Amino acid sequence: MSDYKVLFTGSVCSGKTTAIKSLSDIETVDTDASVSDSAIRRKQKTTIAMDYGVLDLSETARLHLYGTPGQERFKFMWQLMMSDLVHDAEGLVLLVDNTRNDPFKDIRFYVEEFRDFIVRRRLIIAVTHSDEQADPDYDFYMNELKSMGLFTTVLFIDARDPSSVLNVVKELVGLRERDIDWKTLEERLAVNSTMPNANEDEDDDSPIEKVSLLDAAMNTRGITGAMHLGPDRKVISSNVENNQNKELLKSMVNLVAALENKAAFMGHIDDLVLCGPQQETLSVFVEKEQALGLCSDKELSITVVKQQASDLLQWSRQ
Amino acid sequence: MIELLDKVDKPNVIENSCLLQGKEVLASSFTPDKKNHETIAKQAFNYVFLNVARMNAKHNEAHLEIGDKRLSGFILKPELVLVCMSDKACNIALVRDHVAEVKKLFLQEQVNRMLA
Repeated sequence: MSDYKVLFTGSVCSGKTTAIKSLSDIETVDTDASVSDSAIRRKQKTTIAMDYGVLDLSETARLHLYGTPGQERFKFMWQLMMSDLVHDAEGLVLLVDNTRNDPFKDIRFYVEEFRDFIVRRRLIIAVTHSDEQADPDYDFYMNELKSMGLFTTVLFIDARDPSSVLNVVKELVGLRERDIDWKTLEERLAVNSTMPNANEDEDDDSPIEKVSLLDAAMNTRGITGAMHLGPDRKVISSNVENNQNKELLKSMVNLVAALENKAAFMGHIDDLVLCGPQQETLSVFVEKEQALGLCSDKELSITVVKQQASDLLQWSRQ
Repeated sequence: MIELLDKVDKPNVIENSCLLQGKEVLASSFTPDKKNHETIAKQAFNYVFLNVARMNAKHNEAHLEIGDKRLSGFILKPELVLVCMSDKACNIALVRDHVAEVKKLFLQEQVNRMLA
């Protein structure tokens, strides 16, 4: 019996757990916990340790499927998996969520994180959620990856559809395992499909849809208050209770609004951050159609706050 | 004061800097083509830190990302603000760490002057 291993990685919501469930012959092992960042607006559970599933390719070949947790706070698991469980894996499948603001930022990040692992293995970039966001398309990915010096396989897949995810497996082991009956395999895995039924109402009111931007912000580690502003920089909603923070955030928003008029020739204003060793950090993140004011723990790094704000604003836009 | 700015500017971290006392620029290493950035920084940080003082808050640092630049303002002592301009892509932690070092030197210099 030939045993192969493959590691799935990618950002939160990129479809790692779903892809493994689509392919697995066994009930997958997953380790879910409540989401503790802005991803709460898209899902309420996330993988914290790893996903595991098994796919019998033929009577003589088996594929072990491993998935990393997406949240960066569980990054230590990535290293643990690379050095132990999947050190002998065939390849790395990097799932890229096409609805992200900048999918290539994710690619750069994961390629850097898994650099040593990829050097000796096959890398496949599997683009997901392209049914929600078609661009960037295949050609754009290929050109961009080429300019990044990455010459690798790119597949557009739907993680919910076993036949679609099976294309990744074909790429990985198809040439080495020529006895696999792909048609039968596809039929067998059809029961794993979680594709929505065409007759189902797509606008089902799942609880995730009801999570407001402010609720999502408050679910984010280190965020203690949030203020959502519209294109006119007027407050749409706010849960900032501390009067001092509220007044300072308002003054920061006023400044941003003034600079947007006065200093437009210098370029777009991304953010204004105010911090100090004895105070909560106050920040205003600016987009054309909306802005977000945040109060956060002084210990939380500005970079982390910025990333969280970027995610919060992105899902709010949708 | 210009000696202090020589220590502030650092390749790949801080491109230009200036010292503000209220609305007055005491010293500056901003090149003529970057004077707009200096003016915006002066007005923005004056306004921000004025509001901080008005609200009796203790914030002593502000960062504004505009275009491809980041303007950072650090209160060195009451009424004295150090403004630094860095590339937006430059890690903000590098800017903060470097300014923390410079601030130590500045305060030490102040003490030495008082003792002399």
